[in-house]
Amino acid sequence: MKPLTVNFRSKAALTLADAQIQQSIEHVYTGFFKGRLTAAGDTPEWEHLRTKGKAIKDHTIAHLDYYLNMLADNVEKNGGSVFFADDANEARKHIIDLAHEREIKTVIKSKSMVSEEMGLAEAMTDEGFETVETDLGEYIIQLANETPYHLIAPAVHKSRADVAKLLDDDYKDGDRVPDATELTMMARKKLRGVFERADMSVTGVNFAVAESGSIALVTNEGNGRMSTTVPRVHVAVMGMEKIVPSIQDLSTMLRILIRSATGQRISTYVTMVNEARKADEEEGPEEFHLVIMNNGRQKLLEDPQMRESLNCIRCGACLNACPVYRKVGGHAYGWVYPGPIGAIVSPVLTGLKDASNLPSASSLCGACHDACPVKINIPRMLLELRYRTAEGSADKDERTSSAKERGIWKMWRIGMMGRKRFDMGARLAGLALRPLSRGGWLKKAPPPISGWTSSRDFPSISSSSLKSKLSKRAGRSK
Amino acid sequence: MADRAKFISEVTSSLGRTEILSPEADSATAGFDDASTAKANAEKAMADASERSRELADQMADAAATAGWKVHRAESHSDAADLIKSICEDKDAKSVLRSTHEVLDQISVDAAVANSGATLGTTDHSGENTRELVDQSKADAFTADIGITGVDYAIAETGTVVLHPRSGLSRLVSLAPPTHIAVLRPGEVLDSLDELFAMERNDFMSGNLAGSMNLISGPSKTADIEGTTVTGIHGPLEVHLIVLGKG
Repeated sequence: MKPLTVNFRSKAALTLADAQIQQSIEHVYTGFFKGRLTAAGDTPEWEHLRTKGKAIKDHTIAHLDYYLNMLADNVEKNGGSVFFADDANEARKHIIDLAHEREIKTVIKSKSMVSEEMGLAEAMTDEGFETVETDLGEYIIQLANETPYHLIAPAVHKSRADVAKLLDDDYKDGDRVPDATELTMMARKKLRGVFERADMSVTGVNFAVAESGSIALVTNEGNGRMSTTVPRVHVAVMGMEKIVPSIQDLSTMLRILIRSATGQRISTYVTMVNEARKADEEEGPEEFHLVIMNNGRQKLLEDPQMRESLNCIRCGACLNACPVYRKVGGHAYGWVYPGPIGAIVSPVLTGLKDASNLPSASSLCGACHDACPVKINIPRMLLELRYRTAEGSADKDERTSSAKERGIWKMWRIGMMGRKRFDMGARLAGLALRPLSRGGWLKKAPPPISGWTSSRDFPSISSSSLKSKLSKRAGRSK
Repeated sequence: MADRAKFISEVTSSLGRTEILSPEADSATAGFDDASTAKANAEKAMADASERSRELADQMADAAATAGWKVHRAESHSDAADLIKSICEDKDAKSVLRSTHEVLDQISVDAAVANSGATLGTTDHSGENTRELVDQSKADAFTADIGITGVDYAIAETGTVVLHPRSGLSRLVSLAPPTHIAVLRPGEVLDSLDELFAMERNDFMSGNLAGSMNLISGPSKTADIEGTTVTGIHGPLEVHLIVLGKG
């Protein structure tokens, strides 16, 4: 997927101006947010589980090479194939080649952010395969020809009327709007036919177990189960960080993932796949292929300040908790991963220079850190990235600050370093702004304050300093 | 094409090392218990399930109802058979599929389904599954009105039914038909996910890990349209759990 991270401001403005979207995203995020708080509150060992989850992920990432080797060995031992892809292009090409070699006609996809990184559904459609997203939200998004809005609620911005238009060719504006149940049943009927004829599936991976070569998939709809049952070829795609060492780790990880994602104690379905269909099994895929993708994750791994972001288990809790995300919505972030986690991952994976707005799209309130089931310190990394855009290396394409901006801050720094200099500076600034000031406020100021005054007033700078006012008062009271 | 050795050696160097370092045991690797500890953990889970069978069955019934199962208590085998017959009649079922779980024979499910007027099939091809037979199994499952299974385990914490697909237990019997009925015996309920994965870990260590596993907690559901929860998107619209034994 092509990054459009550079358009954050304009895309955010579009969402902010759309009352309908504001209403529906607020409804859903509040539901998820409260659900998570309730689920956490009902789990007495919640903090212990978070600590354990963090320990498991810290440990795995610190030994990622070891566990990748172990995982690949075991998948192969179970009769599956493993493909290591350096980037999205390689992964996509491998999957398309697999499909051609096996004369595949219909591919069903269940929700996978990694496949979004590859732009896989689009590419497979272009190659002539009937490629259908099977998660209802993703299916709606595919029909609308858009990108997902939220990690676990991709079509949250679509109204029932929008969905009716997409599912029913005969639906016209002004017709009765079907309710959510009617729409869901329409989609069920359409997708059933697709499941029955599908000969290949592509799924994501919630957790890959290194010791046994298993993958675990979490769904509520059952498309994950269909995908691991009906087609004769099953391809699972994962980012290289999605490993846990042992089967036993799944109980901790599933508990924190599901509660953090939707507030459920468990999702309707958890599917664990250890191998393709055994000879005496009634059905199941004949082949299992695992694609493990790097696609820039190495940059997160080798960067001590950013490595912790690889602990992410993609639950979406930080999105639902984020006051900025809840207003500007998912598309503004311009790449696969939106919200606070997207604001730290996207700049590193796609280049900080084009994504320099993302780390600033935060009030640094810390709600994402509190919400994270594996305690990722997102605000710390947002600050680190902000520092890099201001003072980072120009060679590494990190720095976006202009020489003028850096010059202004240098002057500021000098001005702040001596009492006399500070008084002088404040007096000068006050004098300079006075002609623009009305009743103690600036409605429209010149740069660099214009950014502030475009949406709110700026207090004019007083002609006398607090210190001089205090000394005058002291003089009077004597 | 990326090759595995190169891919992994780049990961190693990103970690600041020149060769793969075997992890030392720490809190996170507690999951790597040796075979005898894994066995002891599994035995403890089973002993717990049997000693606390009544209590865990009650907890399971409550948690399952929360998860969206329609929970029925059946004191006797014939009560369970009657329940199944009446569900078949309610659903006006023409075609019913069953697994080869022992409990279904114990409650004489074949007669119950026959008395309801529906035809009963199994997906059991006794280990000779050619591609044609696999396609037949799929087609049968997609046209069936009801699927009936026992449980391999249940989980009291979450109201979950656990099934390991195998010969005689198709993956689709609990997924494709619009209604799924699961019959649970006391003693089959584990306390929590911890106990389930302790059992799985022991199966793995002793070389008996099943090919796959499904955890089922209620009917298929989605909230992808305006955040409204709707049951029955890809899997069953309705799921019944029959708990044998006194409630």
